[in-house]
Amino acid sequence: MEDSAIVDLYWARDQLAITASDEKYGPLCRSLSQNILNSWEDAEECVNDTWHRAWNAMPPQRPGCLRAFFAKIVRNLSLDRWRAQRARKRGEGAEALVLELEDCVPAAPSAEEETEAREAARCVDRWLDTLPREDRVIFVRRYWYGQRVDELAAQLGYTPNRLAQRLFRLRSGLRRALEEEGVRL
Amino acid sequence: MSEQSERLLRCISDIGEEKIDEGAQPLLRRKRTAWRRWGALAAAVVLVVGAVRVLPRMGGMASGGGAAAPSGGTATAGGGAGEGPGEDEGTAFQSYAGPVLPLTLGQADSEITAQREITLDFAPWIKRWRSNEDEANSREDVSPETRQEILEQYNEWFPEGGRWQSSTDIQVTDAYTLTNTSKEEKTVSVLYPFVSSLSRMDSRLPVLSADGQPLETGLRTGQYAGGWRGTWAGDLLLDADFGSIDRLYLDSWADYRNLLADGAYLETALEDSPDFSGIPVVVYEFSHIWGPEKGDFPNPTLRSSFSLDYTKTNVLTYGFNGGSFDQERGWMGREFSIPQPGEPDDGEGRYLIVLGEDIGAITAQGYETGGWDNDRKIEAGTTIQRYETSLEEILRTVFQRCYDRQEGLEGDFELYFGLMKDELLLCGGLLADPVSRYEKGGLEYQDSGQLDRVFYLESSVTLPAGGSVTLTAELTKEASFDFGCAKTGNTGVYGCDLATSLGSNLTFTRQTAVLEDRGQIALVRQSIPFDLEAGVRTAELTGEHCFLEVKRLPGE
Repeated sequence: MEDSAIVDLYWARDQLAITASDEKYGPLCRSLSQNILNSWEDAEECVNDTWHRAWNAMPPQRPGCLRAFFAKIVRNLSLDRWRAQRARKRGEGAEALVLELEDCVPAAPSAEEETEAREAARCVDRWLDTLPREDRVIFVRRYWYGQRVDELAAQLGYTPNRLAQRLFRLRSGLRRALEEEGVRL
Repeated sequence: MSEQSERLLRCISDIGEEKIDEGAQPLLRRKRTAWRRWGALAAAVVLVVGAVRVLPRMGGMASGGGAAAPSGGTATAGGGAGEGPGEDEGTAFQSYAGPVLPLTLGQADSEITAQREITLDFAPWIKRWRSNEDEANSREDVSPETRQEILEQYNEWFPEGGRWQSSTDIQVTDAYTLTNTSKEEKTVSVLYPFVSSLSRMDSRLPVLSADGQPLETGLRTGQYAGGWRGTWAGDLLLDADFGSIDRLYLDSWADYRNLLADGAYLETALEDSPDFSGIPVVVYEFSHIWGPEKGDFPNPTLRSSFSLDYTKTNVLTYGFNGGSFDQERGWMGREFSIPQPGEPDDGEGRYLIVLGEDIGAITAQGYETGGWDNDRKIEAGTTIQRYETSLEEILRTVFQRCYDRQEGLEGDFELYFGLMKDELLLCGGLLADPVSRYEKGGLEYQDSGQLDRVFYLESSVTLPAGGSVTLTAELTKEASFDFGCAKTGNTGVYGCDLATSLGSNLTFTRQTAVLEDRGQIALVRQSIPFDLEAGVRTAELTGEHCFLEVKRLPGE
């Protein structure tokens, strides 16, 4: 079903919207959530919560890109759940991603202001714009979708080691970009 | 783990939606192995006994009618390989037509320099009146009565007697002034690359000329250069990308750069296609097929079954549309719908082609339907003739039939035949591990003729000592675009990419582009500094990749 038709179903308050969303984007959302939470059961709950959030958001929202819209919701829900679970469960899922991203954090005092966080997001966005498409996709797949390095390497036709080196270079590049723009996290 | 890195992970959530969406697009897997030399590939051929010889892979599609002599040289790439497109590389269109690529020499020669002028002419965008009579008269393939019916149909659709038509193709004139700086006359092999499929060759084949005189040319073909993926494209992040049912096509400038930059693709195109004459096969030809008509039964089907050792026998087929396989029992069944009077395959033979050890006694029985769970027999039969021949001969027979059946295939059969044999070795039924798309061995399902790839038009020119010759390629270039229904914001925008050095070993002293806008277009995005308002229609080409994106002017 076309995205616009799915959005129309939400606006018409037709519960088929949930079915259509799950048919088209359920696998993507489950994969993304599973990558962060490392649990299929938790991922399933997050995906169900995603449709609920979408139901509440549409109307009034009318997303331009439904795939990204759902993916953002499920990613945020999954990160929230991961944070809540972290005390009990360590060393898996998103924690591995956070550990890798340590490379990118500038050696500067931390700042918790929301405005600086938004500026950091804009800086990451601008830095992504400077990358060749393949590098950008690699970064987004690894750190936005949380895809495993070995899977991503296999899909691209690289060895995992080669991809890991490339990710290291990308993280170093992001760190430089954040430092150059004086971004504090 | 620090709080900062956790916050960074959270910040990344807010990157632009277009990047999130881009990240979920299917990846183009690198298929370096697709361009291995035949020697290496032959080792992977299953159950093939004897040497695989190679024959010149040349098609004679020349304006002069003859094929040029094969080049013995190997080109080296002049363009540098990069990791991907940069920020100024234009729109990634959904339908990507591929770049206009630069001329190269069969063998690099530092004493030859080139000055290039490429003209992009939007004349095809001008609307032209197409009368209903012209439309009907163009159908020379039908009887006068049918032509009259077509005319009446068009008169109904277009009561004003016709309609305005235009194209979004771009007429490209790609001219090279080749200068021989040495003190000796030189005859050099030239290769002009272009993107097309065999089935669209009639409208995409460039015409080469030297100082206005048509050149005799031969055609070299590159391999299919895309990748494969499974059918579950919605689940991109796990194993869904794996599999090999669907093709992944080249769809960006970066894909072409990765393909051509190191010269390996051209090297393979200049190689010869495989010759299977030395490979013996046993053929079971099914002819004189008879049975009841469809009205009596849902789908009258003839099933054939036989025993075989799957480790010693490989079976290719032509004309069969179903199968059942049992490796443990050493049994295989193949079936086809009994052709009905008037159907295209009525009276046509079917073939089981056996490589390696012969199969056991073969049986044939009619059934009411296809599907191996139905055992309701019917009266039907066929004559099965067993004979031995070479793989080359039987493939020539069946691919000739495939060729004759497919509309739009232009050029000579040998070119098509070479592509089909390439495909068999690259990913088809001759491999131990063929792609899923071809794993059942049905030869008629190979679709090489429709695939975009890079072709090379080959010719030779003689350059006088200290003198120059202008070599011109004229071609019709399809534009890149987004599908209107996708609502990407690029509706109505058409793109054209130019490569200045990719895959070329020529030393260019200057490259310029000329825009013949014909009053039809507005510029949307560009890396070529044309300025229609200021009357700048000639511009220098800089960088290895140049692009132009345009829209039709309102009212045009």
